[in-house]
Amino acid sequence: MTVSTINADTVTGPDLAQLWKTRRDRERFQWSSLALMTPAFGLLAVLFLVPMGYAVYLGLTNLTLVGPDSVKWGFTGMANLIRLHQDTTFWTSLWVTAGFIGGSIVGVVVAGYWLASLLMRARPWMRVVVGGIVVVSWMMPAVTAGMTWYASTTQGGALGTLTGLHGTNFLDNWPLIVVTMANVWSMTGFSMLVMGAALRNVPSEAIEAAIVENASAWQRFRMIVLPLLRPTMIAVVLLTALLSLANFGLIYIMTQGGPGNATNILPLYSYQQAFSFNNLAYGALIGNVMVVIATVFGIFYVRVASPKS
Amino acid sequence: MSAPVLPPAAPVEREMPPENTSTQRTRWRSAGTHLTLTAFGILFLVPMLWLLLASVDANASWGLEWPHLSLVNFRNVLTGSLFHALWNSVVLSVVSTAIASITGVFAAYALSRRRIPFKTSLLMFILFSSGVPLAIMVIPVYEMFSRYNLLTIVPTAIFLSVTSLPFEVYLMKNFIDAVPGDLEEAARIEGASTFQVLRQVIVPNAMPGIAAASIFGFVNSWGSLVVPLILISPTDQQPAPIEIYTFLTLPKPEYGNIAAYSLVFCVPVFLLYAVSSRLFREGFVLGGGVKG
Repeated sequence: MTVSTINADTVTGPDLAQLWKTRRDRERFQWSSLALMTPAFGLLAVLFLVPMGYAVYLGLTNLTLVGPDSVKWGFTGMANLIRLHQDTTFWTSLWVTAGFIGGSIVGVVVAGYWLASLLMRARPWMRVVVGGIVVVSWMMPAVTAGMTWYASTTQGGALGTLTGLHGTNFLDNWPLIVVTMANVWSMTGFSMLVMGAALRNVPSEAIEAAIVENASAWQRFRMIVLPLLRPTMIAVVLLTALLSLANFGLIYIMTQGGPGNATNILPLYSYQQAFSFNNLAYGALIGNVMVVIATVFGIFYVRVASPKS
Repeated sequence: MSAPVLPPAAPVEREMPPENTSTQRTRWRSAGTHLTLTAFGILFLVPMLWLLLASVDANASWGLEWPHLSLVNFRNVLTGSLFHALWNSVVLSVVSTAIASITGVFAAYALSRRRIPFKTSLLMFILFSSGVPLAIMVIPVYEMFSRYNLLTIVPTAIFLSVTSLPFEVYLMKNFIDAVPGDLEEAARIEGASTFQVLRQVIVPNAMPGIAAASIFGFVNSWGSLVVPLILISPTDQQPAPIEIYTFLTLPKPEYGNIAAYSLVFCVPVFLLYAVSSRLFREGFVLGGGVKG
């Protein structure tokens, strides 16, 4: 083995960096940074990471809300997973969730884009009135939105009056469609604002050039607008999915998951198992399924929204 | 290679419509735009009509009817336990917003200005948890809180602050990034401590971002139903969303009161959005409009 010696006359910058390991031309770690970060990251650790880990364990136990198993409970291995696999209500709930999220994504993206592009060409007063109505419906808290949609679509409600079908209970007859529409109604404003901002960034020269080239409206949309709007649209799709997955308040007010399990999306079913049927552990396991779904969407969201990409 | 010699291009017969049909077409198109927008406006307005009409109707029902104008509903809901629930909502939202914004601004400053190991991973974690609705953690949190008798309003506010913390940090970091470093350096040369720099340089200059983040946090806590439903057990500490739900479980619903109370519940949210619409134009494009 030879020990390399460094000749002070021939040493270069990179050699020095190698030699000293730490670079002096960059800011170094300061201990006060730790003090600044601790409160926020401590909270996130205690009330986000710890519960997430705890829920993994909890999902595999026999903990109940009341009764003997609420005091003396323990690990039951695969029992809950087997139960989940055989639970037809769970699979129904999963499909209902998929329908609710899928319908919401289509509605929010189409209505948001359509409104944003129409409003660009509209007169100012029209922009204020229609844009205002849509934004107000988005700002409305989920419980209020749920309440007014319940009143409007139940028997004797506004929808029945305006369509002439007085006796029809729209909410009872088409529950999943109605709650999905309510969800789209309460999220379109967000998508409209975001898409409007993105549309204003589409260079008008590109559109004018396409018009000179005799491109049809569809070609202009397909070849110019859509590629430029793609990152925005993907972000809207992912946020709609994540927010819909968690929109407990809206459906809980409107139907509480019913009739039957027609609108029983996963957060409602998880709540129902934990607090109505007292199966706290099983409810936590269903919650874990939601975490897995949300994580998948969340990872895509990070890839789209991170500044680097 | 020489390019093949092309015959002179034949003049293309371009359809150049006469001036008047062109303006006619734009006029039709504009009429179509405005008609479609009117239809959208009506579609979005219809579900709100009941809320507006029933709230001022002395004998309202689920139906859409011309109201017997009266403010009796508002008088009914702004007293007693219903008013108390609104107050609980204020306490819950203010406490959770204060916690999220204060701890958030420290973390955002450190993430923006300091050299921190694994900074990229930490930022990814923040971005990830700002998109994922953390309220889905409520069952394990319930189990943790119930073990230590914490099923009350303040611990619930702390959990709610965690659900809005990542997005607040993300938003505030973006605004702090935009504060010129020279300002901070000047303050350092004058001998300012980190805390002084934060209080006298960073916070005033990043105020729009901090305000937008705080409003986001407030609205997020204000609208949440599932978190207080599960985590707050004393009935006298329950916030307004629970009261709105309770209305529906009563044997004979007081339709007018429900509408008035739901409308009153919206007012702070509408006011905050209105006051800060300029801040939000920037803030909401960056992230999501999460609500409870």
